[in-house]
Amino acid sequence: MRNVGIISVGYNGRFVSKRKDVNIPEMVQAAVHNALAKTRLTLEDIDAFIEGNMATFEGVNYPNLWLSDHIGAVNKPLMRISTGGTTGMSAFHCAYYHVASGLYDTVMAIGWEKHDEGDAQVGLGGIVLPEIFTMFSFGPAMAGPGAGGTLTGGGSTGGASFQAMSYLAKCGGDVEHIDMIAAQARSNAAKNPYAHLQVPGCTKEDIAKTPMVSYPLRFGHTCPTSCGACVMILTTDRKAKKYADHVAWVKAVATGTSDATTGNLIDGQITDPADQVIATEVAKKAYAMAGITNPKKQIQVAEVYDGFAHQELMWPERLLLVDEGKAPKLLEKGALAIDGDMPVNPSGGVVSTNAIGASAMVRVAEAALQVMGLAEGGHQVPRKVRNAMAHGWGGLFQFVTVTIVGDTKRRA
Amino acid sequence: MVDIEKETRLVSDTWDLSLYKWKIEVDGQMLLLEGLKNKKILGRKCDKCGTVYVPGVTYCRKCFVDIEKVVEVGTEGEVATFTVNLADVRGNPLEVPQVICNIKLKGSDSWTMGNLVIDDWRRVKVGMPVRVHFRAETTGVLADLEYFEPI
Amino acid sequence: MLRKVAIVGYKQTQHTSESKVSRERMVYELVKSFFADMGITRDDVGTFVLCSNDFQEGRTISEVYMIPRVGAYMKDETKVDSDGITAIHYGLMRILSGNYDTALIVGYAMGGSEFLGHTIINHMLDPIYERQLGLINEISAAALQAQAYMKKHRLTEEQLAKIAAKDLRNASRNPYALRRLDGVTSKDVLGSKLLYSPIRELHTYPATDGACVLMLAAEEKAKELTDKPVWILGVANCQETYYLGDRDLTQSVSLKLAAAKAYKMAKIRKAAKEVSLAELHTTFASQQPIFAEALGLYPRGSGGKVIDRGESEITGTIPLNPSGGPLGANPFTVCGIIRVAEACAQLRGEAGENQVKDARIAVAHGQVGICAQHNTVFVLGNQPTA
Repeated sequence: MRNVGIISVGYNGRFVSKRKDVNIPEMVQAAVHNALAKTRLTLEDIDAFIEGNMATFEGVNYPNLWLSDHIGAVNKPLMRISTGGTTGMSAFHCAYYHVASGLYDTVMAIGWEKHDEGDAQVGLGGIVLPEIFTMFSFGPAMAGPGAGGTLTGGGSTGGASFQAMSYLAKCGGDVEHIDMIAAQARSNAAKNPYAHLQVPGCTKEDIAKTPMVSYPLRFGHTCPTSCGACVMILTTDRKAKKYADHVAWVKAVATGTSDATTGNLIDGQITDPADQVIATEVAKKAYAMAGITNPKKQIQVAEVYDGFAHQELMWPERLLLVDEGKAPKLLEKGALAIDGDMPVNPSGGVVSTNAIGASAMVRVAEAALQVMGLAEGGHQVPRKVRNAMAHGWGGLFQFVTVTIVGDTKRRA
Repeated sequence: MVDIEKETRLVSDTWDLSLYKWKIEVDGQMLLLEGLKNKKILGRKCDKCGTVYVPGVTYCRKCFVDIEKVVEVGTEGEVATFTVNLADVRGNPLEVPQVICNIKLKGSDSWTMGNLVIDDWRRVKVGMPVRVHFRAETTGVLADLEYFEPI
Repeated sequence: MLRKVAIVGYKQTQHTSESKVSRERMVYELVKSFFADMGITRDDVGTFVLCSNDFQEGRTISEVYMIPRVGAYMKDETKVDSDGITAIHYGLMRILSGNYDTALIVGYAMGGSEFLGHTIINHMLDPIYERQLGLINEISAAALQAQAYMKKHRLTEEQLAKIAAKDLRNASRNPYALRRLDGVTSKDVLGSKLLYSPIRELHTYPATDGACVLMLAAEEKAKELTDKPVWILGVANCQETYYLGDRDLTQSVSLKLAAAKAYKMAKIRKAAKEVSLAELHTTFASQQPIFAEALGLYPRGSGGKVIDRGESEITGTIPLNPSGGPLGANPFTVCGIIRVAEACAQLRGEAGENQVKDARIAVAHGQVGICAQHNTVFVLGNQPTA
């Protein structure tokens, strides 16, 4: 069994709404240099590259082929992974398997997105466009009290509102809790120099001032569209010491897929997206792989994929980091804050920074930074981090990926 | 030093989805429409695991077998979850807020989505009992399931 | 390698230019019948690796509705966005790590009925320069490459047509192929519609709807699942520079590099002597000598000689594309998986009329990008060592 260590995390700079001064390869290249600079590696030492993003957002197919000259991958192995919102972590897992398989020693994982170069609505709409067109041909109500409802419904936040409402009903929380966690996320982001929406001292009242988009979700509960790239370098246990001064060991990787959330669309839906049974199963697989028997005590920090603020409460419950239904109360007590008992998203999370192809990888990157004690700007949690959990989510509410990193190597 | 603003050009292109042709399987939808014509909600049931799918797909994703058995589910059920559109996609407030629900109809394992007509959207709760309101004249289209109403 | 891994089963659809059913149904039927053939259920699969391309399918996250159709509902699944052969490569890595013992690889594409295959390439071009030029598409780039090779190594149009005719004749005997032209000759090829000189319609692939499934298993499991395992002896991938003008189009630098690594892993010292056959991802007949030479199967520039002497025929020295290759059927991203499946058929003695005698070691190749910028090579054998 081969141990795999993360020896470097790089960003191209702060994630922002627009980068009119660079094109895609230039943006990604900056992150590659940033990651390499933190090691004693040169590009020659990289054995393989793994890249991922959501191609339809920028209108460039197989962008890895265009990037190859700009990231040092010419005449080298390069693999492309794309799995919707979890792309970043799926790409990271692919990088992990490159090394764990014994076929490669040192690899570079790249997750990125440049949302200013495309229309996110077109990209997102493209997921189910054929199904929606089909439904139109079956005569849904276009006017009157039934207008739109049988089609897809859900307003502009789509299934997220349904998930949020179901979650609130299950845990007994209310909109105010979502305001609170969103405020916490934005203030945490202010302690992360790379985060997009930084609002120091953000309060729940600030969030509550934003318009209600699709009850119970407000505009202030939703993620931005960001431009940026994240690069991670992974290597074997023997080379980790040689190439860098810090390492976070990969102790578990796990994936799972459940129902596509689609309402009445063609295949229908048989699971409640707020139940996320698959997330609990995947978390259990990961804990077993990492040898963790008591996640509440043994995980010191979690980075979860919260495209919408309520998910920052929901995922920790489903991932067994906090007791079911207890997240709102814990939030009130400050337990989920950076200096709390179970810090969640000290980086600000996806709700503060969302360059889709990078977002799930950033969760692992931030978890690794926490283990290595290298999180900048004040978002490093004060206690010693032995194990950190990173979670990615995507598709139509159905893909879940989990990675656990820690300060000790995985035991067979 | 390169003057970045002078050295930046904008080029544009499009991903023209109208060039594509997709084949979509509609066995479940056709069954649903057939049922709606007769003011019924029809789905299919997997005998192996007992899951009732609405729309009635012809294979069970849990058991990975073909399924054929047509079943009728109730026209009454509970609100499994809901959302309320208070603004349109551009952010302009809607005069009449639109309540959209996912309903677990009795006997169905699937969610059925539709508008809920209710006097005050603040009354809607998860678990609230509702029923289907069919159009007076049903012709076998999705609009036959006009809306849901509280019981 | 850390473990011995074998391909224990494979199945492809009867390829068509327009599927009668949706891709969801096409893939479900394929995987269902594959499980029946193998005597397994979806619970016997440790991990699923899918392959499809959003621009091909006309939908973002093109695997969203396909996952339950391959049996991966509530299971471990991921997707590569490249040629399907990359999915096999990734599946292999997942098993080598020890975290899994089995992997199901599924590729699907509606390259015939949904969209015109060639035009997807347009979105592969960088939006800043090459796309604005409006000159490069898959076929014009292949034509440039064909011209370069033909000029440098004196390959004639007649010889190029013979290469295409050979593949098409093989395809006519392949029950899964879409293009099955009886008694096709180089004359027919030269009489087909000119696209970009010298590339004619019969030099290139037909737009295809299709899918292919393939199962990998670690040694102990492989022996339970089949008595004819095809062992993965070596694998490697590589891509060269993106910019067409910076490349020597008469050869494939990246394929040569990948082949060297794959042969080293497989302990193959002289490919030309040890390899029994090769399945090449030749979307254009003109690529055949380029790929074969990069793989060390024939000497540099020998394309004309090889075809004139019949060396690449099924009965020749090293048969190339005994299945007919992509000229018979090419569902875009599935092609590399089909090349591996066809190589397996050969090594298991299941290739019917196209069977190469005493097939022992096969090379299967997959590629993606303009003029095959990215290449993957598998070295397969019906014995655990070369």
